[in-house]
Amino acid sequence: MPAVQDILVLYQTSPALDVAPSAWARYEASKGTGIKDLVEESQPPYENAMAAMRDGWQVVQMSEYKHRSATDGYELGPFPYQTVLSRFSEMQPEEG
Amino acid sequence: MSEHLISSKEMAHFVASGYLKFEDMVPPDLCAACREEMETNSGYLAVGTPFEETWPTGTALGDAFRLPRVRGLIQSLVGPDPLYDHHAAHLVKARTTRGPDMHQDSVIDFREDYFDIQLSFFPADTPDEMGGTFLVPGSHFRNVRTGEIRGYQHVVGKIWASCPAGTIYVWNTRVWHGSRSNHTDQDRYMYKLRLNPVRPQVRLFDTTDLGDPEIGSILSTNHGWESNDHRYELMKRVELWRFVSGQPDFDVGERFLRRREYQPQKGAA
Repeated sequence: MPAVQDILVLYQTSPALDVAPSAWARYEASKGTGIKDLVEESQPPYENAMAAMRDGWQVVQMSEYKHRSATDGYELGPFPYQTVLSRFSEMQPEEG
Repeated sequence: MSEHLISSKEMAHFVASGYLKFEDMVPPDLCAACREEMETNSGYLAVGTPFEETWPTGTALGDAFRLPRVRGLIQSLVGPDPLYDHHAAHLVKARTTRGPDMHQDSVIDFREDYFDIQLSFFPADTPDEMGGTFLVPGSHFRNVRTGEIRGYQHVVGKIWASCPAGTIYVWNTRVWHGSRSNHTDQDRYMYKLRLNPVRPQVRLFDTTDLGDPEIGSILSTNHGWESNDHRYELMKRVELWRFVSGQPDFDVGERFLRRREYQPQKGAA
């Protein structure tokens, strides 16, 4: 079976590659086209992006710093930064 | 009614985490009757009308949301005369799986010094494998457009309803949440009722313990995901606490709101 791209996204409150993620998401195309049964995970898969890099993941995007103004500098919304990691895995038949 | 109001410390938890959990709110016989009614309960009633006039009487669900403790809880958060917003009997059928579902309800809501509440009533025992609703504690100050946060599959500190029959979770409607897979052979219901205040939500709870020194640390709760944003979360919590407690000068620790408010340069020369 061919190797296809898996993506791991770490959502963060600062953009550095050595900070702990606040949230995370997996887009593992090698396993299928989406998650049909989300299994809860209490801890991130890696302590930070650098730990993931040491496990074979490549960084394909890291966030830029944001300019803050007096009007929006205190505002909250989605998590402000994300690191996108990529790894190729052998494609498996999709379940169900 | 005053004996059923929530305490100031409970209110501080609501401000910091966006939800409270109360077990044994609805007795078993009434739970069973409510569960039966949920099979055929659907559709909105008159949105934006007084709850007391609109909510059915003479039914199990009518009675459940008028129990003295439930009334006290509602009164503590949105006052004694709230408006009915909407309700829904959310069903996850037996052996039904769910993928990522993180969302904020309805549409984005920027109203300041204001919050709607949602009561989530679980009429049957809801163990982990039954897929009780999940919440991200403390996420209610982060306005987003409904389901755009579906991509946050996992968040540090995420919790989910795992509770005995008769439990009610009450939560700020802006809390990020979603449904989960039901791996049991039983259908799972979560009955949701949303209510609006008709008055400023100031000192509606039991203020006897308003001066409790623990309130500052409750407001400073770290749910695990805040990280570098914790100070900004705390500022939002303090702003809301100032409002609901009627203490416009309240602050904690380093007093971060003072970084905005202390501006002697604007004084008269």
